[in-house]
This record gives sequence, structure tokens and C-alpha cells, in this order.
Amino acid sequence: MRHYENLVIVKPTLTAEEIQNSVAAVEEIITANGGEIATTNAMGMRKLAYPINKNERGYYHVVYYSVAPSSISEIERRFRINEDLLRFVTIKYDTNREIKAWNQLVDKMKKSASTPAKEEAPAEAVAEAQEAPVEAAAE
Amino acid sequence: MSEKRKYKKRFCKYCESKVEFMDYKDAGALRFSLSERYKIMPRRLTGNCKKHQDMITIVIKRARAAALVPYTVTRKTVVSAPFENLR
Repeated sequence: MRHYENLVIVKPTLTAEEIQNSVAAVEEIITANGGEIATTNAMGMRKLAYPINKNERGYYHVVYYSVAPSSISEIERRFRINEDLLRFVTIKYDTNREIKAWNQLVDKMKKSASTPAKEEAPAEAVAEAQEAPVEAAAE
Repeated sequence: MSEKRKYKKRFCKYCESKVEFMDYKDAGALRFSLSERYKIMPRRLTGNCKKHQDMITIVIKRARAAALVPYTVTRKTVVSAPFENLR
């Protein structure tokens, strides 16, 4: 098993639901080939640095996973067939240093995935605090 | 006198901050080693060491493939997208 990272750009012309479906399909391809997904990171809709197939924007999604090296060619073949994807970039994390970096990235993504719940609470408190003076002024 | 040096010779910025791994998705961090036209800056201008220059070239080329950093900037694209993605 080797550590990999796949960045996938999904077509922007699809609806939000279709994008989620195609992202799920990407993860399905990886797991179907014996991959273990460590974490995922949705970078969201971004402007592309240059147009790809006349698309100016794209939905970025990153998947961190570990899989046997022989399965990668099959995974990439399936990605090429998939017409929802504008582009995919597969990165191998091979050396000790890179594996360390991979683990750090995965931890970071897991933390950032769990933190938004914490961040929401203060944001609400701020919103309430902003509302309160308005009410006071209205009275 | 020879022409004045455009850039000051510096020590490797990445060695100083002990960078061991660069992430190609962090396009803002690649800005340092890219010129205004998104060319990879030579070592003699940035002062990067060989090790980190090798790392950054690989990372920049990955970022280009992922459409995070442009390959070329022509007169047309300069006007429409000045450094939009990177900040």
C-alpha cells in the first residue's frame, strides 16, 4: 500500500447535486479498486488559471488515500473515461519525508473538517451581539 | 561599474524556515518563486538553494497541471486575470 493524493476538477456546468454525485463516483472508483480513503477536501468552485475545454471555472476536490501501486493505472483509466472530470492530478507520496507530509496533510484536513462546527458557535454569538444594539436602538 | 544588481543575493528562504515539503495546492506560497508572468524564477535571483529549487520546480509544474497557476500569461490574460487566484 502506498499513499496517494488525487485532485479532481469537476465540470462547472453541472448542478450542485450532480457535482456531489460525480465526486461520490470518484471516491467510489478509488474504493472499488481497493483504496482506503483517509480524508477528502472539497476546495469548492474556483476560477481556473487557464480555460480547460472552454470552461473558466471548476469544482476542485481532493482525495487522500492509500492503495496498492498496481491499481493506480486502473483508477486513472476510469478517470479518463469519466466525462464529468475536466482534469485530475495524481500525486504519489513515496519517500519517508513525503509520507510524513501526507500524514500531516491528512491530519490538517481532518481538523479543518471538524473545526467548522466550533467556528459556527462564535459566529452566532457575534450575530446576536450585533442584533442586540439594533433592538436597543429600536426601543 | 557593472550594472546594478536588480535583486539582492539572499540566503535560501526555504532553508531559513526549514521547509521539508511543499504543497502544490497552496498557490499563494508559490508566488515567491514565480515572476510576474508566472515563469519560474531562476536561483540566481531568488537565492534558493539547489534542493529547494528542485522541489519548487516540481511543485509549480504540478500546480500548473491542476490549473492553479497559469502556464503562460499573454497580453490578453494579463488584463482579465491579474493574480486573482493567488490572493
